[in-house]
Amino acid sequence: MLETIVQAVINGLLIGGIYALVSIGVTLIFGVVKIVNFAQGEFVMIGMYISFYLATQFGMDPILSLVVTMPALFVIGVLIQHFLIRRVLGPNDMPQIFLTFALSLLLLNLSLMLFSANYRTVHTSYSDEAWHLGGLYIPVAKLIAFVVAMILSAALWIFLHATDLGRAMRAASQNRDVATLMGINPNRVFAVAFGAALALAGAAGSLLMPFYSAYPFVGQVFVLMAFVAVVLGTLGNVLGALIASLMMGIAESLGIQFVGADSGLIVVFAMLLLTLAFKPNGLGSRRLRS
Amino acid sequence: MTKPRQQSVSNRQDHGAHRILSMRPSRRKFLKTAGTAVAAGAFGAVPLRGWAADPVNIGALYPTTGSMAQIGVGCVAAAKLAVDMVNEAGGIKSLGGAKLNLIISDVQSDTTVTRTETDRLITGNKLSAIHGCYASALTLIASEVCERAKMPIITGSSSDQLNKGRRFTFTPFARASQFAKAQLQMAKLVSEQPKVAVIFENTAFGTSTSNGLKELAPAEGVEIVMFEPYSAGFTDASPLINKVKASGANSLFSLSYLNDLILIVRTVKQVGLNVAINGGSGGFVMPDFYKNVGNAAEGLQGVAHWNHDVSDDAQKVNVEFKKRTGEFAFEYAGGLVAQTFMLADALERAASADPQKVREALSTLDVSSGYAAMAPGGKVKFGPDGKNVYGKPVGVQWQNADLVSVFPKEDARAPLLKT
Repeated sequence: MLETIVQAVINGLLIGGIYALVSIGVTLIFGVVKIVNFAQGEFVMIGMYISFYLATQFGMDPILSLVVTMPALFVIGVLIQHFLIRRVLGPNDMPQIFLTFALSLLLLNLSLMLFSANYRTVHTSYSDEAWHLGGLYIPVAKLIAFVVAMILSAALWIFLHATDLGRAMRAASQNRDVATLMGINPNRVFAVAFGAALALAGAAGSLLMPFYSAYPFVGQVFVLMAFVAVVLGTLGNVLGALIASLMMGIAESLGIQFVGADSGLIVVFAMLLLTLAFKPNGLGSRRLRS
Repeated sequence: MTKPRQQSVSNRQDHGAHRILSMRPSRRKFLKTAGTAVAAGAFGAVPLRGWAADPVNIGALYPTTGSMAQIGVGCVAAAKLAVDMVNEAGGIKSLGGAKLNLIISDVQSDTTVTRTETDRLITGNKLSAIHGCYASALTLIASEVCERAKMPIITGSSSDQLNKGRRFTFTPFARASQFAKAQLQMAKLVSEQPKVAVIFENTAFGTSTSNGLKELAPAEGVEIVMFEPYSAGFTDASPLINKVKASGANSLFSLSYLNDLILIVRTVKQVGLNVAINGGSGGFVMPDFYKNVGNAAEGLQGVAHWNHDVSDDAQKVNVEFKKRTGEFAFEYAGGLVAQTFMLADALERAASADPQKVREALSTLDVSSGYAAMAPGGKVKFGPDGKNVYGKPVGVQWQNADLVSVFPKEDARAPLLKT
């Protein structure tokens, strides 16, 4: 029994790492640019397809292809912020919602057209491997994904707290007008934030590729969890999103194990409802950071 | 060219449409009478030498775009191959060597489109018969339209629903209910005391198929130790496989679509769980499955309504299909070649391209040799419900990157590996 619980927690924690990369991106964009990016999942999908083609055409290991997907998605993010998002920033939320939602639909259907609805998988030497410790097992591909996800999250944390640009980003997120008065160029900060968020989505795509299939709708699977994590961990709070993502992974895994395999999400949403009932601003609301 | 005309027909007021529909039989009757008169006068005595006989139009309804496109595209390739094979062998001799002419229509993986496209195909062309759509959900719709238009349709779809109250629908291969039974019998080959874990996605497909398994299991002497629905499109199969491990099952039936199944198979390997996986039919018995899963697919079992090693003829078709597409002939592809030869056999005996006569000839079809009999069991004869009375599925297993028939004994080409 204890073994089953520990195994369920390990499984949940490992998949939670991937949820974290997606949700940190969403929360970063919300915190800094103050818009909800509904297309975040589609950028995970793009990251997966880039990794898939690098692996099948050039034999590049999907995890190594991080060095391509992250910069590529960063550039895409900066361009989207510069040419699209910047134009709809203003007092009215509606155009922003429509814009990112339309972007999501556009990318989804474009990928259906370009890549078809087929599932694409990459088979690496470690895809089916697992380490066995007593009765427990740890899948290698997921462990690598989890570790890299945590390193990237830590790197973002350090960037936000120890660099000028990071501090400027946090300043802009706390009060845009005052930050502008202090000489911070909000457009530059927004572009970097959007780019960084998309780079994280691209990283999630590359890390998923060794053990998950790429298909046009794949982003939708992860973005739902990301949105729950972002709300649970307080909108705009990077650390909150990280912790909430890991919690949700564990809750889902325990839910499947002990409630029913079609009830994993029920447990997650019950957790969300209870949190919102008692702490309407999310778990991270007391110490609002970044 | 015909499209705008049909659109205008469907746009007309109701009474207009009725008028047109009521005109059709009389026009057909006229053509028939006139045609007979002309035939009697012109061709009755004069040999046809040097004259090209009118081609016989066969409609093909397949989803070549949308979510079901992958298999649909393969079906179209098989349909073309089959028509070429019939034509190269001299066409329909009783119709003066008439060639088969395939008219392909994309039903876009969508039930509404299937309805309109089937209608359009029938009204816009002079067809003798139709085949399609592989996916049961679409075939059910196409079959309804064909029944109303009195157009024979022959299909590889397995839904038992297709054999209820239909006169123009012919199903030469095993039915869904037979698949479940075959799966349970295969579990008995794996272990003396089969303990089966059934995991199924909580959709109409998963629920209905799993209930069929549950009902049949006691009669087959198979114990179901776990019966668990899951949400389709999950991110992680580990918790589910943990449960399978705890249940002590020695066989795992997974009623899943491709993506979930890939995750499940990989996770079973990672856990190191010694359980025989039966992935059923559909995406599991497609060449793509092996490409996606790789070595982990070795030893996995499934059921199919056709396999490329069921007969010598099937292997010939397989070689030709491989030459054209680079993949082995999957169940629907091979089945489709057989179906086309069944239609050719019916046309030959009917000596007419008239759909009604083709239907009559199909209902008396009885073959046990040649490409038309290329089905598990090797015989085709339709009962009054359009079901092949000899129809049965074949149990298959992935061995050395190939799908091999392993069940039942008389159709087995290799022994079942108990891994």
